[in-house]
Amino acid sequence: MSVIESIGPAPGTTANVAVNQVLRAKRRQAVQQVALGVGFPLLLLAVWESCARTGVIDQRFFPSPSRIVAVAIDVVSSPTEAHLVVRDVLATLGRAVWGYMLGAVLGVIVGAVMGLYRPIRDAIAPTIYATFPTPKLAIFPLLIVIFGLGDASKTALVTFGVFFMVCINTLSGVLYANPIYRDFARAFRLPLHVQWFRVIVPSALPSIMAGLKLGIGQAFILVVSAEFVSANDGIGYYIWNSWQILDISRMFVGLLIVSMLGGAAVVLSNTVERYLIPWAKRS
Amino acid sequence: MNAVRSSSLARATPPAIQTAPDALHLQDVKRSFIAASGNVVQALSGVTVSVRQGEVLAFIGPSGCGKSSILRILAGLDEHYDGRVDWHSGGRDAGQTRLLSATVFQADSTLPWMTIENNIRLGLSGLKIDRSTADERVRRYLTLVGLSEFRTAYPHELSGGMRQRVAIARALAAEPLLLLMDEPLSALDAQTRIVMQQELLRIWDETRSTVVYVTHDIGEAITLADRIAVLHARPGRIKEIKPVPFPRERDVLDIRRTGAFGEMEADLWQMVAEEVGQKL
Repeated sequence: MSVIESIGPAPGTTANVAVNQVLRAKRRQAVQQVALGVGFPLLLLAVWESCARTGVIDQRFFPSPSRIVAVAIDVVSSPTEAHLVVRDVLATLGRAVWGYMLGAVLGVIVGAVMGLYRPIRDAIAPTIYATFPTPKLAIFPLLIVIFGLGDASKTALVTFGVFFMVCINTLSGVLYANPIYRDFARAFRLPLHVQWFRVIVPSALPSIMAGLKLGIGQAFILVVSAEFVSANDGIGYYIWNSWQILDISRMFVGLLIVSMLGGAAVVLSNTVERYLIPWAKRS
Repeated sequence: MNAVRSSSLARATPPAIQTAPDALHLQDVKRSFIAASGNVVQALSGVTVSVRQGEVLAFIGPSGCGKSSILRILAGLDEHYDGRVDWHSGGRDAGQTRLLSATVFQADSTLPWMTIENNIRLGLSGLKIDRSTADERVRRYLTLVGLSEFRTAYPHELSGGMRQRVAIARALAAEPLLLLMDEPLSALDAQTRIVMQQELLRIWDETRSTVVYVTHDIGEAITLADRIAVLHARPGRIKEIKPVPFPRERDVLDIRRTGAFGEMEADLWQMVAEEVGQKL
């Protein structure tokens, strides 16, 4: 009987050749992934650059990427300007980091207690879920009334936003963790504090970590927004002020700095995650 | 179905176990659940059975017959039942240096955030034993299940079969009066399962554990148990208790070659099938 169609390696191919084919295909895919991941943003920048140069978009509002880079170099190389930018970055980081840590700690504690102890959950959960959808920035005026115009009100705003993210994720992590861990803890009659701190709370770690990562985004949004509205320093102030005096290139430099800070925070959180929950599956 | 008579089988059960005192006794244990519809569903309608010291008692039956309900009651995970569970021969030790019962679950129950060693040690934290005793037990039972090299590994670094061994070592280290096993091998592949069955026989032989073993695998029940309790379909109650006609020191493969194994398997299949048939 003659072969009508043959799928698979060509006749005479040895297993080794097939393995090499698979390896080569995998390598090709990896190269392609990196090339596309880097190439596409570069393409967008190139389009932006050419649009700006040919005057398709207004250079006064959308300076070309090359011009933004040139201004950024100017800023960094001028001692007075560099000093101011560093001051702004440190001011923003101070507010964001303190607010974040406070919000994260409170969020984990309140979320865990709510998850572990039913009466407290029943008492607090309705309030938490009812106030969660409120835009956090909306209570900023109230926070200024309470904490004054200084750093405290901005830090409090960050704390507030981070708290919700972390608290709700911790709560759901504790409540919906794999029930087998609870069964184990009860079946082996572990003392309550061991059940809580060595079994139930760790089992919620992946969810807590998700909340902590979402909290980073919240912290940056809120600190920059607060600095837009009321501040004399900070990177949010830098961006807003550059816009007000129509120094659009410097506004873009400010945006660049914020994105870099955000990117660094994400890389840091991924490292912490790998260290804290090495068993979690990652894509 | 009468080909294997219980009187002739009784002789094959080791006399030591046959005459052993009861480790625990369940008297008319009933359990009901409230279904989502609000109706009350009876899962167990009066289970009465004794577990003898040192024996392996397997529970089999159609799914939904309440096997797991019995196990959860014995494990202390379910306290809302009627009837009595009497534990004998607990002595002063029970709850102090050894647990009343320890469970090996069907699903992977090792804690991924701690090492194998700490997983086993954590299972001992409800006992009143000093650190050196705990260390000693961790070492002994890790060796018993053949994982002493993996002391400091994390569960996600081990295979499914190895993780289940960790769960077994953890339960054994609590030196429970009753070892509960809830389909502990059902998540493993067929080859690993046979190896683990032989391992379990060896381990029980060494630890002289009293075991309640829940499974839906009839062959596994015959392979491992001294007696097999067949349950009626919902509501669960005991239909019959059959002694297994093999001595305690047995070879998993050798007994499968005997006619008695096949006969018993067919008998039990028929019993379970009757139950399923009635419900279909």
